[in-house]
Amino acid sequence: MTFSVMAPQGIQVLQVATIVVGAPLVSGVIAHVEARLQGRRGPRILQPYYDLSKLFCKETLVTEESSWVFLAGPVVAFGCYLVVPLLIPVLTTYGLPLGYMGDIMGGGLILALAGFAVALASTESGAPYAQLGGSRAMTFGALIEPTVLFVVFVVALITGTDLPYAMAATVRSSSSEIVSPAHVLAAIAFFLVVLSDTGRIPVETHAGTLELGMIDEARTLEHSGSSLALLQWGSAMKQLILYTILINVLVAPWGLAATGTPRAVLLAIPALLGKAIALGCVFAVVDNLFSKLRLFKITEFVAAAFLLSVLAVFVFYAGGG
Amino acid sequence: MIVSSALITLVVVPLLVAIASLLLPVRASKALSVLSGVASFGLSLVLIPAVVHHLRVGTGDVLSVDALSMVFLVATSFVYAITALYAVGYLHAAGSAVGTRYTRRFFAGINVFCWAMMVATLVNGLALLWVAIEITTVVSALLVAIDDTDGASEASWKYLLIASMGLGIALLATIIMYYAGSTVFGSAYDLSYVKLLAGAMHFPPNAVRLAFVLAVLGFGTKMGLAPVHTWLPDAHSEAPTPISALLSGALLAVSFYAILRYFQIAERALGPTFPRNVLLVFGLASLLLAALYVLRQRDLKRLLAYSSVEHMGILAIGMSFGASIAIVGVLLQVLAHAAAKSTAFFGAGSVVRKFTSKDMTRIRGAVGVLPWSGTMLVLAILALSGMPPFGIFRSEFFIVSGGLASSHDAVTVVLVGLVTLAFLGISWFTIQTMLTPDATTARPGPGAAAATVQKGEVSRLIVVAMALGILALAVLGVHPPAELSTLLAHAARELGAPK
Amino acid sequence: MHTVPSTFAGVADVVAILVLLTEFAMLRAPLLRSQVRLYAFQSLVVTGLALYVAVARHVDGLYALAAFSFALKVVLVPGVILRLLRGADADLSGSPVFGVATMTLVALGVSAFGFFTVGALHVHSTVLPTPALAIAVAVVLVAFVLIVLRSDVVSQAIGFFSLENGVSVASLVVASGLPLVVDVAFLFDLLVAVVAFGVIMRVHHGRKRTLSTDLLDQLKG
Repeated sequence: MTFSVMAPQGIQVLQVATIVVGAPLVSGVIAHVEARLQGRRGPRILQPYYDLSKLFCKETLVTEESSWVFLAGPVVAFGCYLVVPLLIPVLTTYGLPLGYMGDIMGGGLILALAGFAVALASTESGAPYAQLGGSRAMTFGALIEPTVLFVVFVVALITGTDLPYAMAATVRSSSSEIVSPAHVLAAIAFFLVVLSDTGRIPVETHAGTLELGMIDEARTLEHSGSSLALLQWGSAMKQLILYTILINVLVAPWGLAATGTPRAVLLAIPALLGKAIALGCVFAVVDNLFSKLRLFKITEFVAAAFLLSVLAVFVFYAGGG
Repeated sequence: MIVSSALITLVVVPLLVAIASLLLPVRASKALSVLSGVASFGLSLVLIPAVVHHLRVGTGDVLSVDALSMVFLVATSFVYAITALYAVGYLHAAGSAVGTRYTRRFFAGINVFCWAMMVATLVNGLALLWVAIEITTVVSALLVAIDDTDGASEASWKYLLIASMGLGIALLATIIMYYAGSTVFGSAYDLSYVKLLAGAMHFPPNAVRLAFVLAVLGFGTKMGLAPVHTWLPDAHSEAPTPISALLSGALLAVSFYAILRYFQIAERALGPTFPRNVLLVFGLASLLLAALYVLRQRDLKRLLAYSSVEHMGILAIGMSFGASIAIVGVLLQVLAHAAAKSTAFFGAGSVVRKFTSKDMTRIRGAVGVLPWSGTMLVLAILALSGMPPFGIFRSEFFIVSGGLASSHDAVTVVLVGLVTLAFLGISWFTIQTMLTPDATTARPGPGAAAATVQKGEVSRLIVVAMALGILALAVLGVHPPAELSTLLAHAARELGAPK
Repeated sequence: MHTVPSTFAGVADVVAILVLLTEFAMLRAPLLRSQVRLYAFQSLVVTGLALYVAVARHVDGLYALAAFSFALKVVLVPGVILRLLRGADADLSGSPVFGVATMTLVALGVSAFGFFTVGALHVHSTVLPTPALAIAVAVVLVAFVLIVLRSDVVSQAIGFFSLENGVSVASLVVASGLPLVVDVAFLFDLLVAVVAFGVIMRVHHGRKRTLSTDLLDQLKG
């Protein structure tokens, strides 16, 4: 053993690397499980990696009408997804040096910036379906945003700070916190937010090709080659980031490294991926249990999520923190 | 001994009569209902001296009467007696249009309804009080629907729904009052009045405040306080007339009784200001609304219904004055209003039957058509507007002087002004419909033109029932019996006029 | 910082929240049948809460209450209404006054009122945590919204019954020691009310051939 404690900077890089490398794996497992639930054999678990490498080898086509924004969008988004893991508890229970760079709101804003870049790029393509997807994604994103805000409020109210590390620590501190109603409601509300943000049923069929009901998927229709690869990779990373927030901040912040020993940190990686895959299986089941909502009914879904998050705040004030 | 057997009789007999009404021949059930009504009234009169002497008499933990509940028991049983009498005449006049089934259900319903109202005044405790009043809602909603017309089904649905919502709130009030008591008596105790009143001083004020407001809102829905009165005009106008009389004469009073029980506790726990102000707000709103609606009313029975809202408003305002003379006035008004409003509804029922319309533009010269009941209807309406020599004049006089004595000058002025406004509305109606000499000037209605209205009474029993009501009004107005006055004074003292 | 409630309080609150959420679900349920089922589910949750309190706080009277309320509110009342619906062959409710999202927002505003009113009153109970009382009041208020905004007799009746569920939760919080006789009397009254609601619903359906209340607009003024 050459050193007993890993440098915080090293762990930080490892956090980002875990997300970057692990994301396609989680997506692959979910796709596989989903296929099994539907009675199909399904793709290989490592299929997303093959897809990505194939796309990176292909040439990138750009329509004549598009400007540099069309190509910059995916890169900016990917960059954003690289930053967010610095801010949230991916592997450690304690904050890392850059972890205090931004709070939950900061992370949310960077995620929103990524969404905005992708939407902008899709608008820039000049193709009607891509534009439709971009505008829908922004619209529903705006609708779900109040819910996200209220979830953040609840976290902030419970911990007195809006740092994700503090929330996770509070949850770990006592088993009563898990069943406290404000916390339960906020967690369920955030679960719904994740459903919506990762484009799952009942908001969207992520695997479909039906343009009329598409939201997130439609944005990437005009992209190809390495641009498309970045977008797909990015969306896989976004999914894993949201899962990580849900798991490591709100629901099950266990299995994280409490110290910087290599053993603890390295164990935290499979722990995170395992939890993320378990959560992904839940999403796959949800996918199979429900059908997609009509586009105009999505407001009902959003209303439900909003209801839960606001009730969480009410209950907190009534003393049920 | 006499007391407990009287109480048990009051609780048992009407229920037995109700069951008998469903089984026995129609004639017997009619006779039994009248007998049971008269007996109930008689028994409640018998109880008065005992209550005046001992202040509270009872049997077991469940039944007991004090001066306050006695007042409401007398009012309810009186309305029971004359309504049973009237109902016989009413159904007789309806003739073969109603079948045996209908008659049986009708009398069973009336007996259960009155039974539940009397039980509400006899039980000792807030929980049982709520249960009894809930039963009145259910039974009376079914009775409103009994005619099976479009109007009746609409009115009964609205009534059942709104009153049930109100009682849901009242249940919440009961539970919160229970909680307030449990801070003193521990977690298992019965909600009897004596206990609650004894401990009220130590109840947590916030809980009592919440319970009182919820109780006023909840029972106020049944009592017809604005803005939760909305079911009242519909149910009163669409129900068969005996039911309208029971609703207006007795049920509203019983709901008021429930509010007074909470008032007693709240006054002890919070001091007089808060409960009085709550009642004042609701009372003024009801009075204002009713006075305005009375002016623009064309439907005879709705007019009487809004007059009930007006009187409930006066009762609430009278309580808010707090002076003991005003409280005596309020309790006297409960009695007088019970007699006057049921008599007025009886008369209205005859008029409606004669003219086959409730629309007052189609009713002309009713006094000419119905020499006895028409005249008594006019008298009852004059009594309702506070004319001497009837009981309501006396009671409103007490209330107004109580208002002035407790230096609520502005409210008193508003009260007098609005009562006058309602009086104008009602007298305009009276002159139009009752006293216009010529029955033929009425706008001819569809089906039955006014010219074809036959002169003559609908039924002799109706005249008797109305005459009893007018007699009671006159007695209350001219010279109330001494025992009754003592009873009212005792009850006013129970309502916590300041010491 | 705040104090974390105990596990007992947390679980009880979450169960109470479930009652409230069911109430919200009733607000949006388009099928009358599903509304009745939601009511049955809500009653089941209330019964469960009663049992939970009985076990955790050793209030023996609540076992009997839970049994009664299960028989009445989970089995009997929904059964009666479903039977009635079978005879009425009307599946969908009339279109509500507002859209689902608007109704939710209205109900949310109303329940906020309930929460903060109860919060301001500082009512404390030894049996169940205060938030449960706030939630119960919110259930009652949302039931009002349900009754006001839905325009069919079944939804309105269900609204009233679920209002009673809210009051039941409140009574578990502040009055769990209520004498059993009184509790049973309350439940008996509910039963009687159900009969009356049923009869008048039948009368209404018999006359108007519909369960909608849109036609009930003749009496006014």
